Amino acid sequence: MAQTMAEKLLTRHNLSGNPARAGDFVEAKIDGAMCHYHAAEPMHDMALEAGFKDGLPRVWDPARVYVLLDHHQPTLSQKLADENALIRREVARLGIQCFHDSEPGIAHQMMLDYGLVRPGELVVGNDSHTVGYGSVNAGATGITRADMFYVLLYGELWFQVPESVRVVLEGRQPSYPIAKDMILYLAGNHGDDFAQGMSIEYSGSLVPQLSIDSRMCLSTHGVEVGAKFALFGSDEATHRFVKARTDQPYEPLAPDAGAHYANEIRLNVDEMPFMVAKPHQFGNVTPVDEARGTRINQAQIGSCANGRFEDIEIAARMLEGKKVAKGVRFLISPASQHVYLQCLKAGLIEKLIEAGAQVITPGCGVCQPRVGFLSDGEVCITATTRNFKGRKGSPKAEIYLAGPLTVTAAAVAGEIVNPKEMFRGL
Amino acid sequence: MGFDLNRVIRGRVWKFGDSIETDAINPYYRYPTMDELKQHTMEVYRPEFPAQVRPGDILVAGRNFGCGSSRPGLVLREVGIAAIVAESVARLFLRNSISRAIPIFVAPGVAGIVEDGETLEVDYPEAVIRNVAGGASVPLRKFPPMIEQIFECGGLPEFARERYLREQALKGQPPMNADARR
Repeated sequence: MAQTMAEKLLTRHNLSGNPARAGDFVEAKIDGAMCHYHAAEPMHDMALEAGFKDGLPRVWDPARVYVLLDHHQPTLSQKLADENALIRREVARLGIQCFHDSEPGIAHQMMLDYGLVRPGELVVGNDSHTVGYGSVNAGATGITRADMFYVLLYGELWFQVPESVRVVLEGRQPSYPIAKDMILYLAGNHGDDFAQGMSIEYSGSLVPQLSIDSRMCLSTHGVEVGAKFALFGSDEATHRFVKARTDQPYEPLAPDAGAHYANEIRLNVDEMPFMVAKPHQFGNVTPVDEARGTRINQAQIGSCANGRFEDIEIAARMLEGKKVAKGVRFLISPASQHVYLQCLKAGLIEKLIEAGAQVITPGCGVCQPRVGFLSDGEVCITATTRNFKGRKGSPKAEIYLAGPLTVTAAAVAGEIVNPKEMFRGL
Repeated sequence: MGFDLNRVIRGRVWKFGDSIETDAINPYYRYPTMDELKQHTMEVYRPEFPAQVRPGDILVAGRNFGCGSSRPGLVLREVGIAAIVAESVARLFLRNSISRAIPIFVAPGVAGIVEDGETLEVDYPEAVIRNVAGGASVPLRKFPPMIEQIFECGGLPEFARERYLREQALKGQPPMNADARR
């Protein structure tokens, strides 16, 4: 029986030992569990609520639980400091070995930076963007805090084996990142839930040309189109990335020839214009030319979708000899300390500051109403994950999503423009 | 407390569109306490909802209900929503609802058989959703037995604790650190 990557993943991890087929409900063995800033709830509060009067009695494997306090670093209030202190106590009591509590950054990026995710593993996290580890061929997915409580105790969890949709990417990678444009194009043309509950398998002649950074953007945004998994195969680039970060063995996933796909979608990037999502939904997508002339107050690059080296590098490259438009706040937040340092060593930070951008401490803040609030009537164009009403403060503000190149062009022009008009020779 | 899936639910409908996000359902960044959330849930789509929703009402939504961040919809239960029925539900919102035993039902076609303010009936045992006045109906998707058990236990943490107590009993050990009486 030919299997998709998702079927193979859940067959390998199926506690019953039976082959997993799309539609089956299985209980699966978990390889890794990532808890970010909401860790107090599964690690402590839910244990009390469920009747464990002294808290969680154990974690199933202290070496496979990763706690990274990302959203609240540095802490923004005493309440959050108290919550972090509680988590710190529980981590020590339960003997959890991997704990990052004094380092700003996005948990997902740190999971990858530190080699805590390997190809072929089944990894869960109490955050929707956990699905991004599919970029390195890991069967990773967001779960709920109550699910995490169960995982912490047993290292097991129920799943419905997903149907798979094959997304075939073709064309030539230009000299700048277009992963965001690709996922926006897919959401705009096929619906913001085209992969609802499904597993995306990215394939096609473009894939070997895609950087790991671009793959991370595409996999992370799997959740914006409903996906349970968003998997790339494991190739040379994957092995280089993973082996530079861990010496743990791993067994990659590959689909069988003849595996069944519920759907196949093709995208040739040579014919794709720059895309933006207009307010207030991810699927409200148009080519950038249809939003041209929209005045902006704020521009942003960051988050688990676009806070990586290539996203920041293109901004710095394009800003050379140019200035951010007067009155525009251009916020750039590297996804982790690792990425920040990489940018610093490459001389990017200097260029950004000289051009008038603000560099923000790594973390989730710019993608939420935490850093850089918007007032009534303000407009923001952002290479981050979401543009829902009120996502950056006022529900009367408007948020456009775009790739880092389109965001940088808008920051310079003070309004949304086609990057090809702003930057000659693209 | 367990949720009895076999009880028929009947209530007045609040109807919403497609791709309603968890930022709208549970805007906890702006309103961190449950009291505040109750005054603001769903207001970006229906400003009158928090003030006018009544215990026992049913929320009907289009496709992709609860997309976005993984956040539970406990506030909807707190304001009295007796059931959520949607054309389709975003995967994490569905998991969140199951794991906290919040009654949620997937019924493709439901948006076409009921209007805002009408009375809807959710009959899980018969696997059907009915417009009480008009009589139109659509099938709802039943859950597999394991998920029905999670509802019966009152959620996944409670389900986990029952398993823990059972396993401790089998090992002949006292249920250390787990209050069997609750």
